[in-house]
This record gives sequence, C-alpha cells and structure tokens, in this order.
Amino acid sequence: MTRVIDTESLTRAFGERLAVDHLDLHVDSGDIFGLLGPNGAGKTTTIRMLTTLLTPTSGTARVCGFDVSGQPGEVRRRIGYVMQSVPWQVNRLLKAREIVEIEAALHHVPRHTRRDLVDEALDLVGLLAHADRTIGEFSGGMHKRLDLACGLLHQPELLVLDEPTLGLDVQSRHRVWDYVVGLRDKGVTVLLATNYLDEADRLCNRLTIVDKGSSVVTGSPTELKRAVAADVVQVATAAPHRLQAAIAGEPWVKNTVLTESNELHIYVEDASVALPAVMRLSLAHDLRLERVAYTQPSLDDVFLLHTGRELRDLEVGA
Amino acid sequence: MADQTLIRKQTTVEPATKPERTSWEEWRGEVTALTRRWFLQLVRERLNLLLSITQPAIWLLFFGSALGRAIDRDAIGTSNYVGFMLAGVIAFTVVTNTVTGAMPLLWDKETGYLDKLLSMPIARSSLIVSRFLFQFALGTAQVLLVFLVAVATAVDVASGPVGAIVILAAAGLLSMALTALSTALAYRVPSHGTFFAIMGFVTLPLVFLSNAFVPLDSMPPWMAIVARLNPLTYAIEAMRILVLDGWDGSVVRALAVLGLFAVASLAVGAYEFRRHTGERVR
Ligand SMILES: Nc1ncnc2c1ncn2[C@@H]1O[C@H](COP(=O)(O)OP(=O)(O)O)[C@@H](O)[C@H]1O
Ligand SMILES: [Mg+2]
Repeated sequence: MTRVIDTESLTRAFGERLAVDHLDLHVDSGDIFGLLGPNGAGKTTTIRMLTTLLTPTSGTARVCGFDVSGQPGEVRRRIGYVMQSVPWQVNRLLKAREIVEIEAALHHVPRHTRRDLVDEALDLVGLLAHADRTIGEFSGGMHKRLDLACGLLHQPELLVLDEPTLGLDVQSRHRVWDYVVGLRDKGVTVLLATNYLDEADRLCNRLTIVDKGSSVVTGSPTELKRAVAADVVQVATAAPHRLQAAIAGEPWVKNTVLTESNELHIYVEDASVALPAVMRLSLAHDLRLERVAYTQPSLDDVFLLHTGRELRDLEVGA
Repeated sequence: MADQTLIRKQTTVEPATKPERTSWEEWRGEVTALTRRWFLQLVRERLNLLLSITQPAIWLLFFGSALGRAIDRDAIGTSNYVGFMLAGVIAFTVVTNTVTGAMPLLWDKETGYLDKLLSMPIARSSLIVSRFLFQFALGTAQVLLVFLVAVATAVDVASGPVGAIVILAAAGLLSMALTALSTALAYRVPSHGTFFAIMGFVTLPLVFLSNAFVPLDSMPPWMAIVARLNPLTYAIEAMRILVLDGWDGSVVRALAVLGLFAVASLAVGAYEFRRHTGERVR
C-alpha cells in the first residue's frame, strides 16, 4: 500500500479565520476516501491546497509522494481534478469532443492515443452520442458528466472529486455513483468531498468527517457507525428533556442526544431490550410518546454524536 | 497501454531528482490546444468574426471617402487622405483589439476556469502565449485586409513591399505591447467592472492624444507635447512615413521607441501574471 495523500497539520487561514485547521489526512492507494462535512467545513479549501491551487498557511501535504509546495508540477501531472462547479459558460460555443480533446492535450496525452482515449472517456460517461453538440445546449447533469470525463483522460494516480453530485437530479446522481463505483473496481484512488451522507456511505471505504476545518473522526463507514452503537432508538415526545432524564443511567443506554428538531436519539446495543424499557419508563413518568422508531445508526448519527449537530439539517439549511 | 507509454516517456525525460520542467514538445502541445480554444470560440461566433476582421477596412473606406473631402489637404501634408488615415486606422484597430482581447482572460479568471487550467500540468507561459498568438493572428488578418483595401482604392506604399512588411511588423509590435498591458490589467483588477472603467477612461485619450487622425504639426503645442509622450504616436509615425514618404531616418527612430515600449510592456505583463498566479503555489 502506498500513501497517495499524506497531510500533517495542514492549515489554511483567510485573514483571522481558519478554513482548514491542522488537518491530518492519510489516503492509501485504491481508497475511495470521503471528506464528509457540511457547507463551509473546509473541504474545497483542503482540495485547493492538495491540487496546488492554494498555498498552505502551515503544515505539509504530500500528494503522490510529492510536496504540494515544493514540487507542484509533479503533483499536477499525477492528479485529475473535477471542480465543484466547472464554469462551462466560458466554453459554451465548443463541442463536447473539442473540450475533451483540449483537456487531453493539456494533460500531455500523446497525440496517437488521444483520439481513442477521448472517445473512451466520452463513452464512459455516456456522452459519446452527444460528442458533437456544443455544450451550451447541455443540461446540468451532462455538464457534470463532461467534467468527469475530463478528469480521467490522463489516467491519474489520484482523482479528486469535489461534490460531484451537488445540485443534480436523482437520475444523474445515480450515473455519477455508478461512475465512481467503476473507478473503485479499476483501483483508481479517489478523494471525494461531499456533504451527502448517503453518498459517502455508499461509495467510500474510508472517510473523514470534517467540521469547521478540523477532522472530527476518521474510519470506514461501518466502523464509524458501529462505534456509535448497534441500534438507535428515535423518540419524538412533547417533553424530550424529561425522557432523557428518566432514562439516564439505565444500563442499556450507551448515549443519548437531543437533536435540533427535538427528537431524542438513544444509542443502544440492542433495540429489543431498549424499546420495552423506553415504553415502561415513559409510562412510569407519565410521558406521552408521539413516535418511536429504531434503525441502525447512520453517518448522521456519527456526526451528531461528535458535533451535537445534524448534518442533515445543515444540508437543508444551506 | 496508453498510460504506459506516457509514464515511460515522463521518466526518461525527467528523472525525479531533476527539477520539474515542461519539455518543448509538451509546451508546444499546450499552446496549440489553448490557441485552438480561442479560435474555436471566434469562428463559432460568425458575426463577431466578420465584424472583427472587416471593421478596420470599413472604417478606412468610411473615413477616406466621407471625411476626405472635409479635410484641409495642407494640414495633413498630403493629398492622399486615405494614405494618411491608414496608419491611424491600423493603430485604432490595435487599440480596440486589446480591449476586447483581454475579455476572455477576465472571464476565465472570474469564473474560476483559470483555476482549472492552473491545476493542470501546464507551463504558466502557455496561457499567455496562446492568447498572444491568437491576438497576433487576428490582428494580422485585419491589417492585411485594410492594407489590401487601401492599395485597391488609392494608396501606393512608398516604401514598397519590404516597407509593407515592416508596417505589419510595427502593427504586431504595438499589438504585443498593448496586449501585454491589458493582460496585466486584467489579472490585476479585482473584477471586470474596474477593467472596463479603466479601459474606457484610457483608450479615447490614447487615440485622440496621438497623431492617429491629426498630424502633430496641426495640434496646439500642449497637445503635441502630450502626443510625443504617447507610444501610439511612434507606431503611427513609423507606419505613416513608410506609406507616404518611403524609407527615412525617423522611421528607424520611431521603431526603436516602439520596440522599447514593447519590451517594457512585456516585462510589466509577465510580472503581473506571475504575481497573480503566485498566490497559488508557484
Ligand atoms: N478565498 C477565500 N477567502 C476567504 N474565505 C474563504 C475563501 N475560500 C473559502 N473561504 C472560507 O473558508 C471556509 C471553508 O470554505 P470551503 O473550503 O469552501 O468549504 P466547503 O467546501 O466545505 O463548503 C468558509 O468559511 C469560507 O467562507
Ligand atoms: Mg466546497
């Protein structure tokens, strides 16, 4: 296993505010590594440093074995970068094929293989049939797929995807996911920034949850969720605080968190033990329950437990 | 397959211990690709293409025929008004080009497309050189056409075919200098609003406080002094003498001043570009 990304206390300040704050990232070859965090968490700033577009304020970052400040050219040769939003307007008069050809040339793809690679890349994202249309006519999903096609042309050692499904319709999201799954099967290393829980859960084998520029917790999605609890019981009641007090100290309770929407999340090892106990205690304390449900913990619970906030809410608010 | 050849080539060209460099072939490929992007954008906008190339020729015909009759022949020192105007129209065209020519660079910068380009393994110079090539080619096409129109209507180039080539070169030099300055400005300003405000402020005085349409001798003395400080004056002077009078010592002097101006402008342009891309890593 070789390290593809290695950062140590990577930090970037804009004026007084730290957009990225002593971040340690370790990504191995073949990983689909997630950077999961709400808007403004510092994902793009991290990526801009890793792609040599922004100088770190302090700390170091090595990408594909090269220091981003010391040998940026070597880094650029080895990475593919699909920006959060590529401004397609500047190329609106160009045809999809022309854009990919130009990108291939800029990545020094040898002329004799360029044609095949361009077709291959367009085919991979399902745009071959639209190769000769000017991109001004494209939909949002098609633009994103075109960007993805460009990211892989030169067979980079690391592909960086910054929120690749942001603002896409469901169908387009699934196409992008299929594309990333295809990369995983080919062994391409991917750094995927996202604020969608389901996306990180579905695609990544490892991820770091970032909040306010710092890493909150790192691990595989399964590990992270398992560390929270085996089950989570969600209770909606008019008096969640009283319920929280009533169950505090019970041996079957691992942890409780009150969400911003005033739902009590009770983390337990076994819901079949916890559910009757919750019922019993609410009856004893004369608490009316509006809704009781249980599920396996999601990454949202991981985020909630570590930050006290819900990623899902932040998403909607954004 | 493809990546294997690519990787092998890279390792032989530049072992990891050597400082990173773009090879000449790679650089040429980058410049070609970027220049292609500019040209594709131009040819897809037919009206833009048509107007850009024919505009100076149309101006010359318009000024030549409409204004020609209203102008005092003694003041301009020749009976050939179209010949007199030719150099002025060429210079005016170059100035217009530099304003519009920096626009795509502004868009790239403001939309973030420049960032995308800078994350690729390309030499920074390719970005600028491609734009220069494009501007140069467009300018040459315009000047050639206006020249043909001039020759077809009334003008005999006194300095002959070699003189005509020198006129083209002078136009190219002026274009290079002004493009460098407008490029520097485009990278310097916080947004395109400032760019257009400054350009709008500068271009008219630049043209009218020169000998583009009025000879220095007919200007009030203060104006003539200002015009003497205007680099445009020297480009026009060189071109005008070559058209009307043929070879002359003052042509060489004017070209020398123009050359110095071009070198200084290129230095400013390179400095600003490096400064702007320097906020990023190298
Ligand atoms: N160029 C900049 N100047 C000032 N502040 C910035 C700049 N870029 C990002 N920031 C700030 O840094 C923080 C992190 O932003 P960003 O990395 O874009 O977050 P994310 O991609 O996770 O949504 C935000 O608070 C943002 O306002
Ligand atoms: Mg972002």
